[in-house]
Formats: sequence, C-alpha cells, structure tokens
Amino acid sequence: MTTLSVDSYVPGGSLLHRWDPRLKLISLLALMFAFATVQHLTLVPAMATLSLGLYAAARLPLGLWRQRLSYPGLLILGLVLVLPFSLGPTVIWQWGGVALRQEGLVASALMAGRFLSILTLGLILLATTPFLSLLQAMRRLGLPVILTDMTLLTYRYLYEIADTLATMQRAMQLRGFGQGPQAWLRLNRQVLEQRAMLAGNLLIRSYEQSERVYRAMRLRGHGQGHPGRRSDKMQTLTPLWGLTATLLGAALGLIMAEVALHHGYNGIGL
Amino acid sequence: MHIPDGILPAQVCVAGYAVTGLATWYSLGQINRRPDPSADIPKASLLTAAFFVASSIYIPLPPASVHLTLNGLLGVVLGYFAFPAIVIGLFFQALALGHGGLTSLGVNAAMMGLPALLAYHLFQARNSLGRPLREPARTGLFAFLGGALGVGLAVLIFLSLIILNIPAEVEAKAERAALLALSLSHLPLIGVEGLFTALLVLFLRRVKPELLEG
Repeated sequence: MTTLSVDSYVPGGSLLHRWDPRLKLISLLALMFAFATVQHLTLVPAMATLSLGLYAAARLPLGLWRQRLSYPGLLILGLVLVLPFSLGPTVIWQWGGVALRQEGLVASALMAGRFLSILTLGLILLATTPFLSLLQAMRRLGLPVILTDMTLLTYRYLYEIADTLATMQRAMQLRGFGQGPQAWLRLNRQVLEQRAMLAGNLLIRSYEQSERVYRAMRLRGHGQGHPGRRSDKMQTLTPLWGLTATLLGAALGLIMAEVALHHGYNGIGL
Repeated sequence: MHIPDGILPAQVCVAGYAVTGLATWYSLGQINRRPDPSADIPKASLLTAAFFVASSIYIPLPPASVHLTLNGLLGVVLGYFAFPAIVIGLFFQALALGHGGLTSLGVNAAMMGLPALLAYHLFQARNSLGRPLREPARTGLFAFLGGALGVGLAVLIFLSLIILNIPAEVEAKAERAALLALSLSHLPLIGVEGLFTALLVLFLRRVKPELLEG
C-alpha cells in the first residue's frame, strides 16, 4: 500500500483543468460509454484520435499514462495475445501448429483500442480534477448523501489505516512471523490464523477509531439537521458549453456510426 | 478479479450500472429504516477503509500467493452497508490502482456486492438454520459458507461475463468447457477465502462480538 494514492490530480492550467467538473464528468463518461459500444475496427482510429487529442489538450505527462497501464494491462495483454491464435476460421499466416487468424486479430485490435481509449479518458478525468471536486460534482449530480459521506470518511482515514497495517506487519516480522526458508510457500492453519488475526485486529482498531470519530462528529453538530458551515458551493470554473456539446456530439456520432456499420455488417467486424 | 474497461460491450456496462443502482437504492433504503442511520456511517466508512487495506494482505497459496477479495466477510460484518462499501472500495481501486475501470464499475460492483448481500443473509440465518449446531461451530460454519459463497459467486459471475462477452465466434460447447475448467481452478481460492473468513469471524466473536451485529 506504499504507493497508494486515490487522488491522481496533476495541477495545471489547461482548458480541461478549468472545465466545470460536472460537465466534464458527464461529457467524458458519455464518450467512454460511446467507446464501449464500438464493435468495428474502422471506428478505432476516430476513438484513438479523440482520446489522444484530449490528452494532449490536458497537457498531462506521458509517464502518467504509461504508469496507469501497468496493472489493468495484464488481463488485456493476455487476451490480446491469445485471441489472434485461437479465434475464428480464417487463417492468414501459419507456422507449424501456430496459426494467426483474422477474426482473432480483429477482436484483439478492437479490445486493445477500446481499452486504451477509455483508459486515456478516465485518466484525463482524474488527472485534471481534484478528488474532492469530483466527489462534490457527483454529489451535485444527485449521488446520495450517505454515499458521499462514506466516500469522504473512507478517503480521510484510508492512509491512516494503511499506515496502521504497515506498522502491524513490521511488528509481526520483528517478532519472527512469516520468516524462515520459503515461508511464502507454506499454507497451514497457523499461517492462515496469523493473517486472519492481523486483518481482525485492523478491523477492531478501525471500529474503535470510528466510535471516537462519531462522538467528535456529534459534538460538531453532525446529524442535527444543520449543515453548519459546510459549503456546497463549487469552485468557480468555466462551464465550456462548446467543448461539452462537441464531446456529447462526438459520443452520439460514434454510436450512430456504430449502428450504421452494424446494419452494413461485413461478417468479420471490419 | 476486476473487469477492466474495453472488454465488455456498452450494453453490459449500462446493465451493470442499472443493477448496482438498484442494489444501492435497496441497501440505502434498509439503512434509512434504522433509528439513526447517520450513527453507523463512521463505522461503515472506517471499516470500508480497513477492508480496502486488508485486501492487500497476501495469503500463500502454493505455488503463488493471492490477495483475498473479502466480499463475503464484508457482507457478514457490514450487513446492508456492504454494498455501498464495495461500490466505494472499487471506485477507490479504479482511481488509486487502476484495477477495474469507470465504465465497468457497475458490473464489478454488482459482481462483488450481490454475493456480499447474500453472504450477509446466509450468516444471519445461522440462528434459524444452524440451531442444531453448538457455538462456536455454528458461527464458524456459517462464516465459512458466507466467505466461500461471496467469492465463489463472484468468480462465477466474473468468468461468465468474460467468456460469454469476448469471442463471438467461439462455440457454445467450448465456452461451457472453459467456464467449467476455470471455475474448478478457483476452488482452492474459494476454500481459502471461506476458511479465512471463518477464522477471522471466530476471532471477532471472541474479542469484539458487537462487530458481528451487522
């Protein structure tokens, strides 16, 4: 948990940084879902151009994008590598028992194109909007209060609890738990019990802390029906109606193009 | 065990959000029936954070090691708060670690959250269905079943979604065979998760029984 960071915000002054988070959330989510509808390879360049154009407009570092690819890329990479050799009857290249198939290749390219384009849009949303502004935008778009309060409190104590676990694990190691040759290869009741007690202790500590937090919140008027000084006003940001309309139009255009291509389907998704 | 963006068609992603929306609405409705719903928010939030962190504890499962999903345990401990907690946890995982994705958040939340709610109801049924058993065997058994059911159902939904939604040209027979083979390969994980849940619940029963009141 050492590299844990919920807030991926990268400060900047680009157009996307100044965009009202509510409109940004709606527009980018609409575009992501439009990307998810794409089933024809001919639309992949349009998706890629749109997402890369927006990434460039957000002036975000390329390293951030590469870093984001690391984990989710594994499942996608597995599928992208396996499908061209296992899917479809049309063999376009063969070497011994290994055959490259057209249908699998198209399916892989589509999947990779969709994944990379949606991931890029998600990253633009998270890297140009501070986490708390994003949460506030969701709240103003109708997310229930219980969910936003829980998200805020979870976010507030996440790092503290991660530190507690790190301390407890260090203490266990210093006392000799999990040591010895090939300790990571042994699974027995004792090992499982140690891990269960570690997790159990973490839950108990968090529970006891939550009781203190609740008492402190009550003393500050939480649940008394007075919102107090908590402001629901959002930081003044530009609505950018033109950009919003362009992206919503692009999302609609992609869906319509997909429907049109579907009706003239040529059998292999091209 | 998260489905990333780009794998599932948009219709499935939208259906996932619809199911998650309904399940969240139902869970929040049950929470709002309590005399003081806000009283449980700090407890649920800090436990959500703790579960999120605890899921990083690795368990040796030779020849590798695994991280547990803990969705059954979440259901057992948090009750109706488990579903919102899973939505928040998955949202954080998508933001912090890139696990899952924003378009697949609804599908992932339904995949983990619905089994968690079932695990909660199964654990609550220990007092009626498990009456012939004595304590602590009764609590241990139902905790094991809750933990195993949570991850077992999630694995089944995950594999079904992946296999049924990717290759349009794969035969139905091959799909069924792959689903069966992959499900069987997850049996050790299901057993370990059930055992881990049982041990943890028995520990909580001894040290902090009020945590098991749901």
